[in-house]
Amino acid sequence: MREAMPKAPRGRRIRVLIAKVGLDGHDVGARVVARGLLDAGMEVIYTGLRRTPEEVVRAAIEEDVDWIGVSTLSGAHMTLLPKLRRLLDEQGASDIRILAGGIVPQEDIPALTDKAVARVFLSGTPIAEIVDYLLGQTAHA
Amino acid sequence: MNDPKRPFSPEVKTEAERWRRETFDPAAVQRPERKPFVTDVGIGIEPLYTPADLERIGFDYLRDAGFPGEYPFTRGERPGMNRTDPFVVSAYSGFGDAEACNRRFRKLIEIGAEQILVALDLPTQCGYDSDHEMSTAEVGQVGVAIDTLADMELLFEGIPADSVKRIGTLGNSIGPIVLALYAALGEKQGIPWSRYTVNLQNDPLKEYIARGTQILPAEPAAKLAADAVAWCVGHAPHWSPMTVCVNHINSGGAGSSMGTAIALANARHYLNLLLKQGYSIDEVAPLLHMFPDERHDFFVSIANLRALRRIWARLMKQTYGATRPEAMACRTTVYGHGQEALAEPLNNIPRTAFGTLAYVLGGASYVYLAGYDEAVSTPNEDSARVALRTLQILAHEHGFTDTIDPLGGSYFIETLTAQVEKQILDGMERIERAGGALAVINGGFGRQVMTQGAVRRQRAIDSGERPWVTVNLWPQKPNVPNTAFRGDPKATERQLARLAEVKASRNRAAVETALAEVDRATGEGANVVPSVLKAVRAYATVGEIVELWRKRFGTFLPSTEF
Repeated sequence: MREAMPKAPRGRRIRVLIAKVGLDGHDVGARVVARGLLDAGMEVIYTGLRRTPEEVVRAAIEEDVDWIGVSTLSGAHMTLLPKLRRLLDEQGASDIRILAGGIVPQEDIPALTDKAVARVFLSGTPIAEIVDYLLGQTAHA
Repeated sequence: MNDPKRPFSPEVKTEAERWRRETFDPAAVQRPERKPFVTDVGIGIEPLYTPADLERIGFDYLRDAGFPGEYPFTRGERPGMNRTDPFVVSAYSGFGDAEACNRRFRKLIEIGAEQILVALDLPTQCGYDSDHEMSTAEVGQVGVAIDTLADMELLFEGIPADSVKRIGTLGNSIGPIVLALYAALGEKQGIPWSRYTVNLQNDPLKEYIARGTQILPAEPAAKLAADAVAWCVGHAPHWSPMTVCVNHINSGGAGSSMGTAIALANARHYLNLLLKQGYSIDEVAPLLHMFPDERHDFFVSIANLRALRRIWARLMKQTYGATRPEAMACRTTVYGHGQEALAEPLNNIPRTAFGTLAYVLGGASYVYLAGYDEAVSTPNEDSARVALRTLQILAHEHGFTDTIDPLGGSYFIETLTAQVEKQILDGMERIERAGGALAVINGGFGRQVMTQGAVRRQRAIDSGERPWVTVNLWPQKPNVPNTAFRGDPKATERQLARLAEVKASRNRAAVETALAEVDRATGEGANVVPSVLKAVRAYATVGEIVELWRKRFGTFLPSTEF
């Protein structure tokens, strides 16, 4: 790993788990975001492809992350994201928040941000925007 | 002027240098160039190309360009190219269940699709039946669900296998199974294998670094893919059971030149497996097609196709000792893209049209074109129609296809072809030194190249270095419209009901016997296709066959590097 720049506020650096859930194998976006967050001084773990929601939740709790960034491109977001949220809550990890990135139709976003996820970033969002959001959220926390 | 290979006066070089010094450079001081002109593959573009550039690259017309249909096939692999054998207008489509998808296929054929490639949903591609736990929420989403031969029968109801030029699918990690399904489909329709043509992608090696539908470890996966090719040598030598892809490797970040080098290393891996089994290069090479890809730079795309044909021809002849022209002629399938954006999706129509025009000018044999909404979801009927119509316009209007290799001989294109060729050859040498195709996958080289490239591209977009209209020029908020295709829950229900019905009505003993035979053939390292064919005829499911392979070979380990 490269020397990370300590840009994040507070003593602890933001910890993010980037996850691919389900069968979708396109992970370029996930890896580019992972690299971008690392470069911005965050601690980043990537799950690798084809994980079940259970596996992702286990990894998130074990790794004590602040955020799970889920890449979703194949259209399974309305099933997989709420399931992830439910599993986190059931296992006492309500403090771990979820970000979704990828392809999500406009009309699905309110339903997702209402309960399951904090924010949806569509494909093509500049990395800086995601970094700013995470830093802002942590500063307010 | 005495050198016959020198078609211009040596003064051209001196004059070109003078022009640069006396005319261009002073002007560029007054009005600076608007940006550095560097292509996605890293080749810088000069303001002007002249005969002096051809001399610089040592261009020899007869050696490097030649004639269409003849070695080294730079100008085209078919003698008459688009004048006699127009590129095949192709459609890639699939969603929901076989019943819904059949209606779309009929429509596409009615409006002129000459080849139908079936998009499979992710469970099918990854070897899970629709009723498997891993298939939750994915059935019929990014393609059509195929569990058994019964789905194929329904999918092609009213569409005889020989009614279009080619039928097929990707099936990268389930190659022998999809091959068997298409062979059994012909039997069901009463059409002999000699009367129709099946095209598969069946290129598992690129999945590990680029596309992500890998199931098994790479080595057995490549062997099973090679089995599909080997079976065709004996049973259907005119089929194209393997299309080795640059496409996903480039778009994933490698860039088109390194992507081509990796794809050629993959092709060599499959060919070597077949040669080791005793097949000759003249038998097997004609069954492999290549799937080149370049989406960023129009002229690089043309140069890439020309360079690829030249490299393939020389590789087959010089390295493998091929003697048949068919083994040296590289047939290409392309999928026309541009840099499609989420904002204002209709702009993707000109983007994909320009990207595809480059492939047509570069001499592609089978041409697909992405739907304008494909960045978002499975194309809807309207965008599928526009894609086909665009291909038909490229084929018939504007005179794009009137002469062969229209840009051949251009100072710019020949120079760029030589530069791209060198990048590809250098890449192949690096891969060879690293240990070949499997080392690219297992040793991390592939992943490294991909991530570095993807990060470089993202930075070029974020910084504005790579201009992109509506993204970093006149930026618009990206939007995924509510009209984007969605999986149909009713299609999933129908699919699950059909699978249950097939499982209940099939001859259980026949299925067990056939599966045992697949398992035995797999264990013995024999060609699996004959036994897989028996299994699909008995309505064994895709998942049941793949499960045997998972048990025997284990599954791939996903990499957590980024």
